[in-house]
Amino acid sequence: MHVPDGFLSPQLSVPAYAVAAPLWAWAVRRHFGRGAAESLPVMGSLTALAFVIQTLMIPVPGGTSTHLVGVVVLALLFGPLVAFVCEALVLLVQALFFGAGGITVLGVNALAMGLVGPLAGWLVWRLARPFSEKAALFLAGWVATQAAALLLAGALALQHRLDPAYFPVPIAVNLTAMMVPSLTVAGVVEGLYTVFVLSLLRKANPRGVAA
Amino acid sequence: MASRLEPRRSRLLLAAWLVAIFAISACKEPRLLSGAGVVAGLLFHRGLGRTLARVLRTILPVTAGLALASVLGLRAVGGAWPPVEPFAALALRAGVIGVITFSVLDRVGLLAALAPFPALSRLLVVTLAQTHALRLLATESRDGLRSRLARKPGAIDMLRSSGAVTAALFTLSARNAREISDAMRSRGF
Repeated sequence: MHVPDGFLSPQLSVPAYAVAAPLWAWAVRRHFGRGAAESLPVMGSLTALAFVIQTLMIPVPGGTSTHLVGVVVLALLFGPLVAFVCEALVLLVQALFFGAGGITVLGVNALAMGLVGPLAGWLVWRLARPFSEKAALFLAGWVATQAAALLLAGALALQHRLDPAYFPVPIAVNLTAMMVPSLTVAGVVEGLYTVFVLSLLRKANPRGVAA
Repeated sequence: MASRLEPRRSRLLLAAWLVAIFAISACKEPRLLSGAGVVAGLLFHRGLGRTLARVLRTILPVTAGLALASVLGLRAVGGAWPPVEPFAALALRAGVIGVITFSVLDRVGLLAALAPFPALSRLLVVTLAQTHALRLLATESRDGLRSRLARKPGAIDMLRSSGAVTAALFTLSARNAREISDAMRSRGF
């Protein structure tokens, strides 16, 4: 889902860093403790967990496959800010060690996939869970995927609006490319996955997981 | 893999890489981008074939797919073929940044270069080690599912299995975090 290097100019990528950086600092101070012995192992383990979840491939009809994002699960269990820090680190590791995504667009991708998506999913879950827990979990996964895709499509659309010579892909093509797979496949897969994981975690209730 | 540079040179190369990719991400002139690509090719000529193959495999399909859809969409709406330069610039920009990034990351010893930032390098070491441990569990679980089913696993099988794997990963990850935390405390952190 994430935007690669070269698709967004510094007009957008630098302000995105300016928004994301203080939020990262605040989230780390608030959720991961002050000492290295407290914060590093938990951050490292949760980031590794988010990274490995994203390598799980799900076959979809038509002979292709999609991968899970899984950040909304972290948001539901530990809070949206924890998910934001972990997803930013996943994106950093992917960019530095696996050549996926990119450093110039890290702020935009982290804000969309790590903050806005999981936060939207978490809010929907809080609103819908009094009616049906399973439906709330499914909606959380589905809405998180749509919110992240919509924000990334919006960033690309804004880039096209600012300078069509820089990003010539029209808004209609860009929205179709981002939202159709997200609405039809990725959101449904993420929703079902969120239901399965949270149901299992509630049954197993492992130590250290606030399910 | 190209031979790794010593830490100080790695840090300089990383700093130059950051400046270069942000500068290239601001550029939209195909000639300038082509020039940057030629310079990058000359600077990183060792292993260039493998790097180009990686760029062709990972970056260009997305750019080419979007460009093709856009050109066809604009032709259908406007009745004329749109100018090709902006699409060429987009592909060149993504490609040149990819070549520079893959070439630089192939040459630097990243963890050694990050030694002056102990918190960041420790965090990366913990993350990479945990990723390796958790990936092993995920791979074993996937292979186990395949061996238990007589047919090829479908989407629902894989989703159920992913749910179970994630629950196991949570347990392992929480236990590993506690163990690393205890180990770091015992070493005076």
